[in-house]
Amino acid sequence: MTAPSTTPALRGLAEDVSTGRVFARTCAAEWTRLWTVKATWWFLAAAAVAMVGLGAVAGFDAAADPVPPQGDPAWLVSSISAMPAQFALLAFTLIAVTSDYATGGIVPTLQWTPRRAVLFLARAIVTAGAATSAGVLLGLASALAAFAAARPGLSLPLDEGIEVLATVAFVFAAGTVLAVGLGFLLRNTAGGLVAVFLLMLVLPLLLPQFGYEWMSALAEILPGSGAAFLLLKGVPGMTTVSSVLVLLAWAGGALLLGWLRLMRDDANR
Amino acid sequence: MIEVRGLTKRYGDVLAVDDLSFDVEPGKVTGFLGPNGAGKSTTMRMMLGLDRPTSGKALVNGRTFTMLAEPLREVGALLDPGSVHPGRTGRNHLRVAARANGIPERRIAEVIEQVGLGRAAGRRIKGYSLGMRQRLGIAAALLADPRVLLFDEPMNGLDLDGVRWIRGLLRRLADEGRTVLVSSHLLSEMEQTADRLVVIGRGRLIADATTEEILRGLGHRQVRVRTSQPDQLLTRLEEHGFTVQRVDAHELRVEESTAEQVGDLANSFHLPLHHLSDVQQSLERAYLALTSDHVEHHAREAERAPTTMEAAQ
Ligand SMILES: Nc1ncnc2c1ncn2[C@@H]1O[C@H](COP(=O)(O)OP(=O)(O)OP(=O)(O)O)[C@@H](O)[C@H]1O
Ligand SMILES: [Mg+2]
Repeated sequence: MTAPSTTPALRGLAEDVSTGRVFARTCAAEWTRLWTVKATWWFLAAAAVAMVGLGAVAGFDAAADPVPPQGDPAWLVSSISAMPAQFALLAFTLIAVTSDYATGGIVPTLQWTPRRAVLFLARAIVTAGAATSAGVLLGLASALAAFAAARPGLSLPLDEGIEVLATVAFVFAAGTVLAVGLGFLLRNTAGGLVAVFLLMLVLPLLLPQFGYEWMSALAEILPGSGAAFLLLKGVPGMTTVSSVLVLLAWAGGALLLGWLRLMRDDANR
Repeated sequence: MIEVRGLTKRYGDVLAVDDLSFDVEPGKVTGFLGPNGAGKSTTMRMMLGLDRPTSGKALVNGRTFTMLAEPLREVGALLDPGSVHPGRTGRNHLRVAARANGIPERRIAEVIEQVGLGRAAGRRIKGYSLGMRQRLGIAAALLADPRVLLFDEPMNGLDLDGVRWIRGLLRRLADEGRTVLVSSHLLSEMEQTADRLVVIGRGRLIADATTEEILRGLGHRQVRVRTSQPDQLLTRLEEHGFTVQRVDAHELRVEESTAEQVGDLANSFHLPLHHLSDVQQSLERAYLALTSDHVEHHAREAERAPTTMEAAQ
């Protein structure tokens, strides 16, 4: 056995470490936790294929058009390809939260970071932050791919780029924060994925199809309608303001419920 | 040092831990003993802040675990070795722990070496045997050189070598002045390992003393005697104040007596004896006797089994 580095009897109580320090360390641990499992890389790869792939396809399409576009902005592709890609990033985030519950890993996690508020914030910021940042970079890559493939048909005006990427960032951030909250609330990968897909895709698409007034009204207050409007426009009944508010309310609400469950309940039973 | 004060945990109708109070002192291996479902794991989970006590508290080095900034420097714990992400490598698992507590990277290699995980540390945990998972959990517990160690049934599913290794490790950790709490449901396992025993049943404290004291207190004596005239012997013995049990047509059990006493008494009444012996109360049975009132799962019949058990021996 290697001799212990210090004799426990000689050491006093653990020195005071500031909460900021603890938070920074917890973020570092969460970062390592995130990138040392395969699922993270798979979902990121899926998002990359969707965004860059769609960008390139759109670019080639534009170039092959008998009436080639005359310098239309390539940024449109970023927000269109963000629509399918967001689901890979939602799964990325959700699984980063729930896999600890699926595997029992939450037991060591809370042994290493027993201050649950710190763990919650670190995990929310690291996972949603990583997914959103990756999403924005992929949005950029998507537009660049379209631009390169269609050259010289498309253009890359800076001001419009900033606006589009900011919108993509907001939609991804709100969606992934929602996923974090649902993950902590439901503590279950399958349940969380179903909930995310229902809220972000299935219900917003399905409800208006029934033709009832109240169902359409319900669809308008679901986060998926907000995301779709911001990325694609053309969602009846939605405005930019209502979309932003709906997304913020869902993300905030889910985060609050997830927080309460983590803070109040037993670790995993 | 661990102080448990009035610790209680209720899950719906189940009172898993019931007003438990005891101390775990440094420099000793303390065995935390109880049958299945006694509440050992629940107690340990509450010590670590994983489960919220219904009432009462557990202090580690005078503080609540959930307040600690660098918990791994205070307490190392192995609860369930299966509670890890199987897709991560052992080394990455430890790396997460080290990051979370500001522990230098080199300690990871040291503990991997110390627990004998070796090259397996670079492989995914899903390929680990139970013994390797136990070692990984122990490596995480030792990572920051803590003064308090908690192990929940660390010998479960280990082969003889593994058990011997853990015993040696526990001994060393206690000799270095650390506080060591080890749970088990087997007295035989603890009698060779623990200096002190905290025995619980149905969430209640049954005994809290040195291992020696507990074993001595349990060893109540019995004499087994066979005779062709059991009815007469039984009457005589009872006349002399012994508690006697009729075991079968020709056999009696005499409580709290010695073979000499029973032999002399039989002789004085000229009763023929075919067999006379002191029954060494088996430790496991003694322990069962101690906890039987508190055992939840054992059916009534199980307690009537000793005769059959004896016959089998
Ligand atoms: N989440 C829960 N919900 C309901 N009952 C529970 C829960 N967790 C534990 N229990 C009950 O609490 C009691 C104590 O369980 P615990 O796991 O602490 O026992 P133990 O002494 O560790 O047993 P073992 O030797 O089997 O590990 C048991 O009756 C168990 O069924
Ligand atoms: Mg247990």
